[in-house]
Amino acid sequence: MSIVTVQLGQCGNQIGFEVFDALLRDSQSSHGLCCKRENEAYQASCKERFFSEEENGVPIARAVLVDMEPKVINQTLSKAAQSGRWKYGQHACFCQKQGSGNNWAYGYSVHGPRHEESIMNLIRKEVEKCDSFSGFFIIMSMAGGTGSGIGAFVTQNLQDQYSNSLKMNQIIWPYGTGEVIVQNYNSILTLSHLYRSSDALLVHENDAVHKICAKLMNIKQISFSDINQVLAHQLGSVFQPTYSAESSFHYRRNPLGDLMEHLVPHPEFKMLSVRNVPHMSENSLAYSTFTWAGLLKHLRQMLISNAKMEEGIDWHVRPPSSGLPSLGKKSLNKDLHFNTSIANLVILRGKDVQSADVGKKFRAYIHQYTKFGIEEEDFLDSFTSLEQVVASYCNL
Amino acid sequence: MRGRRVGAAGARAIAGVSRSLPSDHSPRSSGRAKFDRPDDSAPWQLLLPRALPIPAGKRLASIALGKAALPALCFARANPRAALPAAGSVGWLLRAEDLCPRQMLPDPSGPLGDEMTVWGQCDALASLGPPAPHMETEGPVDVRHVQWLMGKLRFRWRQLVSSQQEQCALLSKIHLYTHGCHSDQSLGHLSVTEAEMLRDPEGGQQLLRTLEQENRRLEAVLAWRRTELVFWQWMDTVLGTCAPEAPAAASQPTFLPWVPECGDGELELVVRELQTLEEELREAAERRRVAWEAKARGCGRGPEWSATRRASQETVEKELGALQRRWEQDSGPAQAHGPHRLVRREDGAAGDRDLRAAELIRTLRSQEACLEAMLRQLQGQCRQELARVAGALPGLIWIPPPGR
Repeated sequence: MSIVTVQLGQCGNQIGFEVFDALLRDSQSSHGLCCKRENEAYQASCKERFFSEEENGVPIARAVLVDMEPKVINQTLSKAAQSGRWKYGQHACFCQKQGSGNNWAYGYSVHGPRHEESIMNLIRKEVEKCDSFSGFFIIMSMAGGTGSGIGAFVTQNLQDQYSNSLKMNQIIWPYGTGEVIVQNYNSILTLSHLYRSSDALLVHENDAVHKICAKLMNIKQISFSDINQVLAHQLGSVFQPTYSAESSFHYRRNPLGDLMEHLVPHPEFKMLSVRNVPHMSENSLAYSTFTWAGLLKHLRQMLISNAKMEEGIDWHVRPPSSGLPSLGKKSLNKDLHFNTSIANLVILRGKDVQSADVGKKFRAYIHQYTKFGIEEEDFLDSFTSLEQVVASYCNL
Repeated sequence: MRGRRVGAAGARAIAGVSRSLPSDHSPRSSGRAKFDRPDDSAPWQLLLPRALPIPAGKRLASIALGKAALPALCFARANPRAALPAAGSVGWLLRAEDLCPRQMLPDPSGPLGDEMTVWGQCDALASLGPPAPHMETEGPVDVRHVQWLMGKLRFRWRQLVSSQQEQCALLSKIHLYTHGCHSDQSLGHLSVTEAEMLRDPEGGQQLLRTLEQENRRLEAVLAWRRTELVFWQWMDTVLGTCAPEAPAAASQPTFLPWVPECGDGELELVVRELQTLEEELREAAERRRVAWEAKARGCGRGPEWSATRRASQETVEKELGALQRRWEQDSGPAQAHGPHRLVRREDGAAGDRDLRAAELIRTLRSQEACLEAMLRQLQGQCRQELARVAGALPGLIWIPPPGR
């Protein structure tokens, strides 16, 4: 069954490109240990999910690209076309000439409604192209203006129009020492809106991925491209076809559905994060030996001790006796994971509000939002709903 | 031992039964000696349902069970993308099928056509009512566990919907592409099973073998039906002679088919009992009605009273009107129950037993609206009840969950 990807904003589009590239490269890679028929089945399954066929045989990604500035989209489109192995649909993108200045309110209240119809039309065309449609995968950042504001708006629309299909939002958690000043506000608004309209929120932290790149992959000058590639690798592992537990003769039909059914059935706990092992670039694979059991043990301890990387795992931490289910598939293990930085973020914001002179700064930025229709109450609403989320996680 | 000898007719009956049983029950068809052992209860249990008379030639109405049946009703969900062309030349038909023979087998093999089953009215669903809560008193149930399960159910439901849409698209494609391929002109195109048979001849052979096997079993069932009576009479004699001889065997549960043979005397007794019961009931009802009328009369004739009376009269009339409309609607097109074969036609011609998919969809949609109204009403009642309970406890803050 097919998944339609919606790439929003600069972040979303760059990551989306890497994801598709990684998926296709993996499915077409020749060094594998399986027989030919197996490989073909794998390839076919992966292709059906993420790509549609065209006459000349070049797969076209099932994606809709949205951004308010044309630069990133054009870059993405050309990179894909240049690779020669796949490309984006010609009319699958939507962009405007102006940016949104990192203003969530601008993205949500202005850009969103203004371009709602065109964007939804594009999405609808992609969905209609699918023989069997399983859900949406929406890639966006949490703290920027375009990605987060429009992302929240689009997700809400998808919820209204396609209430029966599944939606997973992939959100990028900004660096702790932020690049964007108002990223806290953007993040809070985004999170609270997405929590209402999406089924699952898959969080990737820039900090964590950066560390992985630095420590484990030995990359000296880490660029966004490297980070995105690591991210794409993780995502790809999640979405590649896997066997189902009952019948090992064919691949799972509904990847999103199975994932969600096992991981986020409870309406209050929607946050997901990804752990994977081993962390190394493809080049070093040939020089390492791994056992399946060893890898799984590493993974388990990573989860328990809340570590993000393979290095520096605290082996003394024991798991609490809770009944959370965990799925193991291939080299990946996902579990319901409460991201402590939510609490940090919220406390930070609380502190911001309380201190006097920062209070002025707070007011100063608020007017950027109220200009476009987001009132202070909306902030408070978002705040309370997130507090609720934090509380429910604390009660687990 | 004479009673134990089974005559030729009885032997035929036994053989017929065994042949009609599904093969994995290892039919014990031979050997009189085997039937001396009363503890072969498994074949007996299979026989009993067949001892009930099935009227020949009638279609059996099937009763819907639970919500899971509801998606099976709709060929195209209420989804504009998957909408069938409503009127005009192209339409889908549900061609009625005679199901009686196949239903006689405990596990009939798959049908050849694309089967859609038309269930009875949705009243069957509504009359089921809420399932009796099965409480396990092992301790307090964590509400989060319940929410977890509800969430899982919701996801399964949505997956089901997308699989259904996938199936619809597939059916539509196959019907379209194989137009003109079927030897039966009235059908015009192949069904999924038939297309699959053509694509995979080995599978087709397998299907053929299964069908032949089923045919043989059906013939056996018919043979059994003819000689049934002889068989039971023989069994009677066997058990008659068996019981005093083997007390150990009697302790095993034996299933005796109940042959009604009460004489006239017993019948009179029963009739008299019924009559007395009826009298008692009538008296009790009369007493109740008198008491209620007295109470109602004493309720007063203030404006409040007449207002409530008018209101209740209006609701009753409305509900009656709705019921009548629904009855008329439903009894309009002659709805046959049971399995139908899905056929796509360009010209819109239909036999008299066939149903048009468009009409069926309309009926189902109105029933859906009915049920949704019922659901909303029940939800409103629940909410009021909860508010009442929450309001009664001071200091309790009720935060509704963030949701749609």
